Amino acid sequence: MGQGTPGGLNRQLPGDRKNDGDKKEKKFEPAAPPARVGRKQRKQKGPEAAARLPTVTPLTKCKLRLLKLERIKDYLLMEEEFVTNQERLKPQEEKTEEDRSKVDDLRGSPMSVGNLEELIDENHAIVSSSVGPEYYVGILSFVDKDQLEPGCAILMHNKVLSVVGLLQDEVDPMVSVMKVEKAPLESYADIGGLDAQIQEIKEAVELPLTHPELYEDIGIKPPKGVILYGEPGTGKTLLAKAVANSTSATFLRVVGSELIQKYLGDGPKLVRELFRVADELSPSIVFIDEIDAVGTKRYDAHSGGEREIQRTMLELLNQLDGFDSRGDVKVILATNKIESLDPALLRPGRIDRKIEFPLPDIKTRRRIFQIHTSRMTLADDVNLEEFVMTKDEFSGADIKAICTEAGLLALRERRMKVTHADFKKAKDKVMFKKKEGVPEGLYM
Amino acid sequence: MTPAPDPNGDNGGATKDEATLKVPTKDPKKKDEKKDEDLSEEDLALKQQLELYVERVQDSDPGLQKVALESMRQEIRNATSSMTSVPKPLKFLRPHYGTLKAHYEKMAESDLKKFLADILSVLALTMSAEGERESLKYRLLGSDGDIGSWGHEYVRNLAGEISQEYAKRQSDEAPIDDLMELVQQIVAFHMQHNAEPEAVDLLMEVEDLDLLVEHVDKTNFKRTCLYLTSSAKYLPGPDDILVLDIAYMIYMKFEEYPRALQIALHLDNLQYVKQIFTSCNDLLQRKQFCYILARHGTRFELDDDICADDEEREGLQEIINNSKLSEGYLTLARDIEVMEPKSPEDIYKAHLLDGRASAGASVDSARQNLAATFVNAFVNAGFGQDKLMTVPSEASSGSSTNWLFKNKEHGRASAAASLGMILLWDVDSGLAQLDKYFHSTDIPVIAGALLGVGIVNCGVQHDCDPAMALLAEYVDREDPSIRIGAIMGLGLAYAGAQSEQIRAKLIPVLGDAKAPLDVIAFTAIALGLIFVGSCSEDIAQAIIFALMDRSESELGEPLTRLLPLGLGLLYLGKQESVEATAEVSKTFNEKIRKHCDMTLLSCAYAGTGNVLKVQHFLGQCAQHLEKGETYQGAAVLGIGLVAMAEDLGLEMAIRSLEHLLQYGEQNIRKAVPLALGLLCISNPKVTVMDTLSRLSHDSDTEVAMAAIISLGLIGAGTNNARIAGMLRNLSSYYYKEASLLFCVRIAQGLVHMGKGLMTLSPYHSERFLLSPTALAGLITFLHACLDMKAIILGKYHYVLYFLVLAMQPRMLMTVDENLKPLSVPVRVGQAVDVVGQAGRPKTITGFQTHSTPVLLSAGDRAELATEKYIPLSPILEGFVILKENPEYRED
Repeated sequence: MGQGTPGGLNRQLPGDRKNDGDKKEKKFEPAAPPARVGRKQRKQKGPEAAARLPTVTPLTKCKLRLLKLERIKDYLLMEEEFVTNQERLKPQEEKTEEDRSKVDDLRGSPMSVGNLEELIDENHAIVSSSVGPEYYVGILSFVDKDQLEPGCAILMHNKVLSVVGLLQDEVDPMVSVMKVEKAPLESYADIGGLDAQIQEIKEAVELPLTHPELYEDIGIKPPKGVILYGEPGTGKTLLAKAVANSTSATFLRVVGSELIQKYLGDGPKLVRELFRVADELSPSIVFIDEIDAVGTKRYDAHSGGEREIQRTMLELLNQLDGFDSRGDVKVILATNKIESLDPALLRPGRIDRKIEFPLPDIKTRRRIFQIHTSRMTLADDVNLEEFVMTKDEFSGADIKAICTEAGLLALRERRMKVTHADFKKAKDKVMFKKKEGVPEGLYM
Repeated sequence: MTPAPDPNGDNGGATKDEATLKVPTKDPKKKDEKKDEDLSEEDLALKQQLELYVERVQDSDPGLQKVALESMRQEIRNATSSMTSVPKPLKFLRPHYGTLKAHYEKMAESDLKKFLADILSVLALTMSAEGERESLKYRLLGSDGDIGSWGHEYVRNLAGEISQEYAKRQSDEAPIDDLMELVQQIVAFHMQHNAEPEAVDLLMEVEDLDLLVEHVDKTNFKRTCLYLTSSAKYLPGPDDILVLDIAYMIYMKFEEYPRALQIALHLDNLQYVKQIFTSCNDLLQRKQFCYILARHGTRFELDDDICADDEEREGLQEIINNSKLSEGYLTLARDIEVMEPKSPEDIYKAHLLDGRASAGASVDSARQNLAATFVNAFVNAGFGQDKLMTVPSEASSGSSTNWLFKNKEHGRASAAASLGMILLWDVDSGLAQLDKYFHSTDIPVIAGALLGVGIVNCGVQHDCDPAMALLAEYVDREDPSIRIGAIMGLGLAYAGAQSEQIRAKLIPVLGDAKAPLDVIAFTAIALGLIFVGSCSEDIAQAIIFALMDRSESELGEPLTRLLPLGLGLLYLGKQESVEATAEVSKTFNEKIRKHCDMTLLSCAYAGTGNVLKVQHFLGQCAQHLEKGETYQGAAVLGIGLVAMAEDLGLEMAIRSLEHLLQYGEQNIRKAVPLALGLLCISNPKVTVMDTLSRLSHDSDTEVAMAAIISLGLIGAGTNNARIAGMLRNLSSYYYKEASLLFCVRIAQGLVHMGKGLMTLSPYHSERFLLSPTALAGLITFLHACLDMKAIILGKYHYVLYFLVLAMQPRMLMTVDENLKPLSVPVRVGQAVDVVGQAGRPKTITGFQTHSTPVLLSAGDRAELATEKYIPLSPILEGFVILKENPEYRED
């Protein structure tokens, strides 16, 4: 909008004068549409802004809220009744069909896709297509001018390049991929232990979306997001999957490294798009895995690439707790290096809850072993307690690896049952790999 | 994402956990073992413990039973549950619910049985099937212990079941005594635990709000009443009155008189007002009541019962009579430094436009002068000085008359009357200055002077009642314009007064066979204004007869439509009372019948928010008519009138009007801007402004004119720069079209009304009270705008002066105990809806600190920024008396 303001004023006056002149000469023509006034606040929410319903204030579940919502419903029903009545009285089907085909003729095909650079006056604009130069072209009268704004994607006639339509869906395809369409199979039942963590994440992420009134009752703002941190393999991503599995909110998942893009400015743009989509589809949960890819502490960056990564993080900071309030969007971050993250990212208000995922204790270990062995055929001599009680530091992923390894060993020998010896061997193997080649039992 | 209010909805993970584990395994025995293994040791111990209790309960030994029940109860109560899951003891007891229930049936009547019933009632919280209401059933069977000891969730669940049970018993006509006892307990519990909305909701469900009065205390009555009053706007039928009555009683109980007075005024119950006066003996408080009454525009005579002391009574009556309004307004103007009079050119700001437009002032200069007269009147309203009418006559002998005679014939009436507007509320000097016109030989000037007298006296009562004395004799003069001037003057001066004397004077005019149509029309309006909302039958009769006497051709005249409006004003806001008259109106000539019907309904339900009426009006607008029918305009205005009551309806109505614009024909389209203007009066919302700006370029001139006037209405008295800019551009766009330019000028005058110190909004006191006279003035103006060409652009342009009824300074003026202005710091900011919020939330946001007197825009609220004084009214609007805070200590 930088150049828009002064230009806007100048543009309006000559426009008016011209209209005026027209009016005097040929009376029959309907007055030209007014200079658009809504351009400045265009940016807010697009054309839906006017159609938005008023907000209903007490968030608590109470009769007053019910009454208010009913009032809105009544009005909407009346609108519906009115509109259907009108449609019935004025059957326009055929006529519109005819008009439509006429419009299609005018548009021609194929249409080329371009970019609107600048609106000159009501009927003219400067457009560019992806390949070449910019053109000064006309805008056809049937294009909804209220929705045109500089920078939006438009359809152009293939020969004269005039604007014949606009592409409304502006969601970056990159973002739409992030939406989790099919819920993952892991549920809370597949998590061993982590009771406290499950409770915390539920309170911070799910409950504000399902029961906002609980927070209203007590007079606090629900947390905006959580960060999950802990050793590798302690179940951070698993928990996020379980959240996605159980919630009916939109779940968007990104890996931190996806936010790093080739071109300057693309990363921050992607972050913006991501949160815009999240806001549109709200209530929604945004899960950013491996946030340390973009969220590391800021220091004097040497390369342009590093600077770009930092800018991406700054955009993320702004989206988390910036000027515009995010409504029903909750954020889950996951990392295993919380100490390397920028402190600004972790301040309360952006990320209100830090949930630590410790290595499993004995009870949890037993639970995890049970989960993983529940579908294996075990020989009678298997004594899992031995592994449960061992002093080695296992993570959840290690336990899974041991079970899998033991199964593979049994397969190798064509046995149908997994024996204790398999488990022992598997454990040694896994621990050997984990300690980077130092065999177990050697003292360092 | 709104889940059903299911108390066990948040146990998601835990129960699902079991469910998913149960399904795949086939061997039941193995399943059990496995589940045991899943549990931690403590949980397992707890589970076994509970199972033991369950067994013991079924034991034959009563002692053992008792111990078991006791400890079971302990376990349940001690469980510190998280909000995300079901407490563990409840979870483990779930499988035994059936056994316990069966055992309960077998048990002999005893204390123990009641004990068990209690526990079953709690268990039913998570177990009982939807609609069974077992929790309530066992609660009623159990002991009547402290209800809160089982936790909040339990009480809430119980309350829900009670309301269902109540509805069922109501239909079966079963007794409800036992339920009411429980309700008592629950309400008491809720009121102690900051859950006033829930208590109120429950009592509304069981239709026994009277109970509330016993349970409120000093700490929570404000929140309770706030909830009640804001619910009242959305409740149907007689319920809203009931709710407000309760709120009134509570306020009276805690001596929160100003709030009680608000409710009394909202209910339009003068009995209550009297009661408030008699129960409050503090003179200062009473003065504050008088200020509130004065703002509302009610005429209220204090009698000896209320105030025995003559001197005191006079002082109070003076406040009610608004005698100090002019003084206060001028103080505000001096404080803000806008005393300097402004000429119309200062408003037009033609120098900001291109050269060409301003040079084109050639067309129809008489009309331009008329517009300038109105702009001058609106802008300098109440300031007592201007640059056209009141320039000192010594300086250039009779220059004021010069301006007067720059207007053509009937324009002079408006010009003379504009002097009244400039001296608004200042009766003494107003009459002195108008006096010279009475000796004029020019008939329109005399008519204007008569009207001016009415305007000066509008909303102000003077001890010697000069308006009546001056105007009465002119009512029966020969000349119609003089008669109209006198009649309209009376209507403005005595709006809402319900004076018998005037009725006797005006009713004969209606029956006068020789009187021309316009006189009769204005008489009907004047009567409607004076008896606004009175449902007076003989006046209704008189108007009806006058309407029936009209000839066929007269019925087609636009002015005839003012007759039904006069009738409608009599029933303003009185809802059902209109029905009898509406029946009669069905017998009218078909030309006017529908119009009359719409007008009556829209007036009767104005400001009620009645959705059914909106539906009715929308239904009327959905029809497509033959040319010449006009009633749809009235119906569109009706939508605005009914929906303006509350914010939600207002916003939704704006949406509906969008559809009307899309589908409606010309006669609907031209009324839509007016309805928008009414909905957002003196409240320049950007979205509405955009819509109106779009319509102001409409190809249909009538739509464009209405949109332009409405731009003025939504910006009235705000000095809104954006609207002013739009209007400026419009003035150059339409520079060749005299009538449109006239509208633009009027709108410009409205936007700068009172140099930005005024509002036209009939709502005041935090948008809770609706001043009937102000609304009546607005309706009359809008109806006149429905046929712009015949009325405002014709020779009846003085209908613009009906707006004076709605003009009020939008100020907060703080005065000390001697009613002298007192400057204190106040915070002014956007009002926040705090109904039903926890704690003590901020009532305003984005505030700035000013010192009084200050201006309040639409949606603003003020609060004192100092502890030094205590305001006598909780609503800081208009005049507020401040008392020194005895506990205040300077830091």
